[in-house]
Amino acid sequence: METILNLNNIHKSFGEKRIHQGVNFELHKGESLGLLGGSGTGKSVLLRSIIGLEKIDSGKILFHDKEVQGFTDELNLSKLRLKISYSFQSGALFDSLNVFDNIAYPLFEHTKLSYVEIQVKVAQVLKLIDLEGIENLMPSDLSGGMQKRVGMARAMILDPEIILYDEPTAGLDPANIENVVSLMLKLKERGQSSILVTHDIPAAIRFCDRILILIDRKIYFNGTVEEFTESDDPNILKFAQGQAKEAHHAS
Amino acid sequence: MSQPGTNEIELPEAKALIDRFYDVGMMVYFFATIIKCTFSRPFYFMRLVDQIRALGLGSISITIVIGLTMGLVMTLNFGYGLAKFGGVLYVPAVVSLSLAREMAPIFTSLLVAGRIGSGMAAEIGSMNVTQQVDAIRALGTNPVRVLVVPRFWSAVISLPLLTSLSCFLGILGGMVVCQNEFGMPPGFYINKVLDTVMIHDFLSGMVKSGIFGAIIAIVGCWRGLATVGGTRGVGESTTWVVVTSSIAILITDFFISKIFLLIWGH
Ligand SMILES: Nc1ncnc2c1ncn2[C@@H]1O[C@H](COP(=O)(O)OP(=O)(O)OP(=O)(O)O)[C@@H](O)[C@H]1O
Ligand SMILES: [Mg+2]
Repeated sequence: METILNLNNIHKSFGEKRIHQGVNFELHKGESLGLLGGSGTGKSVLLRSIIGLEKIDSGKILFHDKEVQGFTDELNLSKLRLKISYSFQSGALFDSLNVFDNIAYPLFEHTKLSYVEIQVKVAQVLKLIDLEGIENLMPSDLSGGMQKRVGMARAMILDPEIILYDEPTAGLDPANIENVVSLMLKLKERGQSSILVTHDIPAAIRFCDRILILIDRKIYFNGTVEEFTESDDPNILKFAQGQAKEAHHAS
Repeated sequence: MSQPGTNEIELPEAKALIDRFYDVGMMVYFFATIIKCTFSRPFYFMRLVDQIRALGLGSISITIVIGLTMGLVMTLNFGYGLAKFGGVLYVPAVVSLSLAREMAPIFTSLLVAGRIGSGMAAEIGSMNVTQQVDAIRALGTNPVRVLVVPRFWSAVISLPLLTSLSCFLGILGGMVVCQNEFGMPPGFYINKVLDTVMIHDFLSGMVKSGIFGAIIAIVGCWRGLATVGGTRGVGESTTWVVVTSSIAILITDFFISKIFLLIWGH
């Protein structure tokens, strides 16, 4: 299988605070990786590093054998970010724009489509996320779950090669979790490669091909879903129990 | 560290001073980035129009108030002051010259700094703490182009226009006071004003206020983009921007006035 993303010996710290010390993993084409880890272990920081929103201290992030840290000028960085898109933990919708303009933003910026074509495309994506007809609502009119899905729609509208999902199911009720997971599965069937950061282990087991666990600033476990569920490593069992408790508290 | 006194007292102050210089250096660099982004594609023209509407047109009401008030109050004070020495005839010259050169640019800019500088810091700052600025980057666009360049140019364009408005209204207010308090005919007043205020007096006021507009936008946007720490951070940023840009305007005013005096001699 072709490797499209390769993280090699990543080190990152904020001042004295060390976040990553030697993180390694690969993402293959069409694969869905689940990245798990306790709160504050640096999962979001890792995703942000992949698209160059954070600068790593040392190590290499390779996208198609090209070093992401080398994408420093505006044009190249912009190209990289069209190929790898990041669905924010909070949704991060532009609150001065309505839903249509939010989702259409990448289209207006990076394509030459006409206004009508953009309208059609946005309507299609809204149908895909099961939120038809909300084009004219403002983000503040939406529930948290809807904001997240609109954020995901904005992240996938340009058909990126890789989508980085940052906790897409956190804080949602079961019906919304089902919506989001089935949306991700739909995209996966089309061959979408992705990395899913989550505390929701059942969702990760349903969606992912491989599971990675961040413990003590490193990838402690890297294996298939079966290897993960059948593991009798006490650290992993402890971790899974902790996550289940956290999920329970969150809901 | 074991030495009590000296070090402990001096170090924080030295550090604060270094931080100040660091801030100034960063803002100069930020200014260079804005200029670079202005003269390369993409340039968001519609966003510039929107900002001129919001910042420029939105500031007209306070500009009217400040302009009229300045004219009325200055004319009253100069008028009665100079009347003691029989110098009422000089009132139009004094009022219009000080308005065109100093009072209109400074007071308009200070008030507008309070309005739009804090607005920029609050708007961009809250976008930053809610990751909307990161979203602009993540979607392959550049926050300096999208957010900062339109605000910068709208301030640089709007402030001279607002300043001319307040200067004009100030002179008009002066005329009203001169007629009602000192019985001076408007025709005489206008002639005196036109005789005194040269085009370069007016232009120096315009250039000044354009530079003040640039200062307001640079300070406001830079701090907005550097805002961290949630809603509290946004509050701190807005206060910081109003104080800093006001001080920067006053200090810069001295140096610009000096330079203009060197150029025009009087
Ligand atoms: N810009 C920053 N400056 C300083 N510290 C930061 C910064 N960004 C993140 N951190 C710290 O890095 C650590 C990892 O943060 P991160 O957001 O990646 O955690 P996470 O694994 O995504 O947690 P969660 O599951 O709660 O989202 C945290 O301790 C956080 O305080
Ligand atoms: Mg996170």
